Amino acid sequence: MTDRTDNFATMMKQALAGDQRAYGDLLQETTRLLRPFLAKRLNNTNEVDDLMQEILISIHKARHTYDGNRPYKPWVFAIARFRLQDHFRVHYADQLHHAADLSEMEDYLHEDVTETSISYESISGEVEKLPKKQATILRMMHQEGYTAKEVAEKIGMNESAVKVAAHRAYKILRQKLER
Amino acid sequence: MGNLDELINKLAKDGTAVKPAHHPFLLSLEWITIAVFYLALALMISGLRTDLTAKLHEPWFAAEIAVLVGIVIATSLSAALLSFPDLHQMRRVALVPAITFVLFALVMFIAWRADSPPTPPPMHSIECTLSITMLALLPAVWIFFVMRRYASTHQYWAGGIAMLAAFSVGALWLRLHEQTDSIMHVIEWHYLPMVIVGLLGMWLGKLVLKW
Repeated sequence: MTDRTDNFATMMKQALAGDQRAYGDLLQETTRLLRPFLAKRLNNTNEVDDLMQEILISIHKARHTYDGNRPYKPWVFAIARFRLQDHFRVHYADQLHHAADLSEMEDYLHEDVTETSISYESISGEVEKLPKKQATILRMMHQEGYTAKEVAEKIGMNESAVKVAAHRAYKILRQKLER
Repeated sequence: MGNLDELINKLAKDGTAVKPAHHPFLLSLEWITIAVFYLALALMISGLRTDLTAKLHEPWFAAEIAVLVGIVIATSLSAALLSFPDLHQMRRVALVPAITFVLFALVMFIAWRADSPPTPPPMHSIECTLSITMLALLPAVWIFFVMRRYASTHQYWAGGIAMLAAFSVGALWLRLHEQTDSIMHVIEWHYLPMVIVGLLGMWLGKLVLKW
């Protein structure tokens, strides 16, 4: 690992001195070094290649800021991170630009599903129109808060009969309110 | 992959010998030296405050000037480091301005407490801010011009610190020139605008230091 790190620094020193072959090798090695770093953060190979090109150009532009007397990797990763952030910034800004505003979507959306024409008053009215026993059961269960068992005790029926009566009442109410 | 190989070959062919950039310590020393000459020239033209010798014997005034000089040095050093993509691998040194600013706030707070009864403020107000800005303009342009030749990966911070470095030269000049003892005036019209200038510098950094 140390050998390889020293190698990068040596190659860069040679490149700064005008050794084009060493520079080419350095860029090849740098590509190999950075590929896993980018692949981990980007979705597809094309994106990785595009960004790699940008990073290589940035390394070329900034090579005078490296003197060969300090580790190469932190220098090159600083540039790679910087370009990656730039890439994300542009990418997300682009996505935001193309994202439709919610207010624009409202016209195309269906009617509000939470809004309904059924009111508490209309339900109460329909309950009153039910057979007397069913109306009493529903009123006791939903207005006065009794359980099916308590209703059964109060009106002298068994619990399952109360539940069946309530179920039939719900069915009638649903049919009436859906009309 | 083919494109990448092509690009590498093209860059390698273009890879002529390049002189490595100065070490950031040397770069900041260069800036500080220029700032000292600039400050001396400005003071020669505008004149020193007449009570400067007596004022320098006052501990809080001397401390204020000393920390202000510290800010000039620290911000110059930090701006030089921020010009390099990896901060020349001296990240902690780049944070030195934070310490000097805390120290400065502390000195100003104590000086404000010691200013009792408070010295009446001078008749002028924003003129001070404008004078500092005018004087800081040239150093600011110079620092940005030099920084553009490097490759900052922290453009916001680099811009902000560069502006603070330039503005602190202006603030130091006015403190040595203007005969004002009102701490409140100095805080309000000399030093608080520094915060705005720093923010402006951050915006400028993103704009000017693009590469």
